Parts: sequence; C-alpha cells; structure tokens
Amino acid sequence: MWGIDTRYPDVWSVVPAFNEAAVIGEVIADVRSVFDHVVVVDDCSGDDTGAIAHLCGAHLLRHPVNLGQGAAIQTGVEYARSQPGAEVFVTFDADGQHRVKDVLRMIDRLRTEDVDIVIGTRFADPEASTKVPFLKRVVLRGAVLLSARSRRLGLSDAHNGLRVFNRNVAQRLDITMNGMSHASEFIALIDENHWRVSEEPVEILYTDYSKSKGQPLVNGVNIIFDGLVRGRKYR
Amino acid sequence: MNWIQVLLLVAGMLLVVFLLRSRRSVRARAWVKVGYLLFVLAGIYAILRPDDTTVLANLVGVRRGTDLMLYALIIAFAFTTLSTYMRFRDVELRYARLARAIALEGAREPTDERSPVSAGEAESGQPTPGYGGSSRPCGARPRRV
Repeated sequence: MWGIDTRYPDVWSVVPAFNEAAVIGEVIADVRSVFDHVVVVDDCSGDDTGAIAHLCGAHLLRHPVNLGQGAAIQTGVEYARSQPGAEVFVTFDADGQHRVKDVLRMIDRLRTEDVDIVIGTRFADPEASTKVPFLKRVVLRGAVLLSARSRRLGLSDAHNGLRVFNRNVAQRLDITMNGMSHASEFIALIDENHWRVSEEPVEILYTDYSKSKGQPLVNGVNIIFDGLVRGRKYR
Repeated sequence: MNWIQVLLLVAGMLLVVFLLRSRRSVRARAWVKVGYLLFVLAGIYAILRPDDTTVLANLVGVRRGTDLMLYALIIAFAFTTLSTYMRFRDVELRYARLARAIALEGAREPTDERSPVSAGEAESGQPTPGYGGSSRPCGARPRRV
C-alpha cells in the first residue's frame, strides 16, 4: 500500500509505554506498517511490554525505575534526536487510542506549512468530539478555558498525546514534569520558545482498554498545581 | 486591621514570591541561613525572657505571646512544606535524568534485519517486505484505520 518513498525514513515515533503488554505489539505493528523508526520507552513495566515491542521491531529504551509518561517521552525524544537523519518526531500513545492516518496528515502539515509543531485535537470537529466521554469532555474543555496560554495559542485540546514536531522543537525539548503534567509543560515550552503551533483534528479511539488505562480525571488537580509551582528556570 | 494581620499577610506573600522566584540562587540560600540565625537568636531571647514575647505580641495587636508564637510557627511550617516540595521536585528531576542516562546507555536497536540502522541506508535501502510474516504478538491484522 505504501511505496518505498513513502516509508518516511526521517520520521521517528516515540511511544512511551507502561504495562501495555496486551496491546503494544499491535500498536507497534500498526505504526511500523508506515514508519520504520519507532522508539518504545518502557517505563519499567512489570509485564513484557518492552520485550514485545522489541520483538516487533521497535528501538527499546528501558527506564530502570518508573518515572512517568513525561519522563518517558523526554527519554524517547533524546534518543530519537541523536539518530542521524531524524527530522520529524511523533509522540504516540501506547494504548492504541491514536490512529496512524492522523499522524500522516499531521506530518504532511508540518512539511508544507509554516509550523514547528502540530498537536492533535479531539474538539475541532463537533461530530467527532461527541465521541469523547461526556465528563472527560467537560473537564478537558474546562482546562483549556482556564489556561490563558492555551487560549492565546489557539489550542483547543492541550492534553492530546498525539504530537508531531520538527528537529528544532526536539532539540530544545526539556520536559521536567515526570508525571502527567507534561502536557501542560509542552504548552508552556511552546509559548516560551515561540514555536509555531497548529492543531489538526484527530480521532481518539476510546476502547474499553484505553479507557481503563486513562488517567483519572481528578488528576487534573495535580496538573493545575504542578503548573503553578513550575519554576521558570529548571536547569 | 490589626498589625499582626498585616505582618502575617506580608510574611505569607514574601514566602510565595521568595520561593517561586529566587530559589536555588546563592543569595537566596544565604538569606535562608541569615533568617535561620535570627530565628535561633530570637528563640534564645524568648526562652530567657518569656514575658517579653507578650510585650511584643501586644505591640502588634496580639493578646498573648503564646499566640504570637503560634502564628510564627504556622508561617514557618508553611515555608518548610513548600520548600521541601520544591526540593523534592529538583531531586526527582535529577533522578529522572540519571535514570534516563541509564536507559539511553542500554538502548537496544531492533534485532530484525529489516530495520535500517540509519536513515541513509533507509533512503537507498531495499524495499521492506510487508508485515505479513511477523511473529505472533505483533498482531499482523490491520487495525481500524
């Protein structure tokens, strides 16, 4: 289906994974059906997540201790950006809720438009956004309304895990929030570094599995607090 | 408004500004030490002349010296809590970087010969066969796209 010149040799996908053995193989196979280079960061899973991912052709990095998703993304990006020829970077969730064809559209926009980073959004298309569970939708929309930054940057879904960015962003990316607050930190970094950002409508597949793995909504409280105390100089 | 209220509010605000803005700098650390020294000296004085705390308390609109101590304690506790939280965040970040260095050190490239080692090879490389004959966990079936 994909010819040889659409193998995207300069694209590196980063997949942070924690205890995803049930689905990781399928997800990696899916991503690898289009992209050669996949980096799985096994965040010290207790199951065979890492081994399966490696077997399926992913580059494997394993955290010796569990650090959280933000730290795993940073590790994966640091590995990917050190690879020769890496120009486009993708963050992709390991639980199978993202679609590869959305990534392709985002890469296309990164290449053709004047942007540094493209973030997926669940809320661009009213029809698609109704597929997001109601309570989740309310909280995610509320988070955007509360965040002056997201509004200023024109982002409607700051907590979407699907992102595509160029080398400039990857090179300067420095996520210090180890846990789930990294999405807000991503937005803060975009703002501080004046990266040109754009959104692309994507569909999130809310399977029973991904729902059961998702973060509890009350975690929003942690995210807000972490955002408030995030030091400006964290080096 | 009582003087004590003003003092406590100012202390609270200084606390936040001080902690969020200038922590980790050499100057901030030095001031923490100076503050600590003053605290110890004041403590010694209060022990030797306990009634003077009441005088001081009356001066700022608090009835008893004990109450003044309580207020001071609350401020000190809040300060400690926040600075401990900050310090933990810093330590966690270093810990994450250490773990990351170990992970990067032990990176495993895909064993399967289909994956190109570098992008250069990928560009000139041979066509990659489809995903058909893969081993079982990789679930060769095409997913919902």
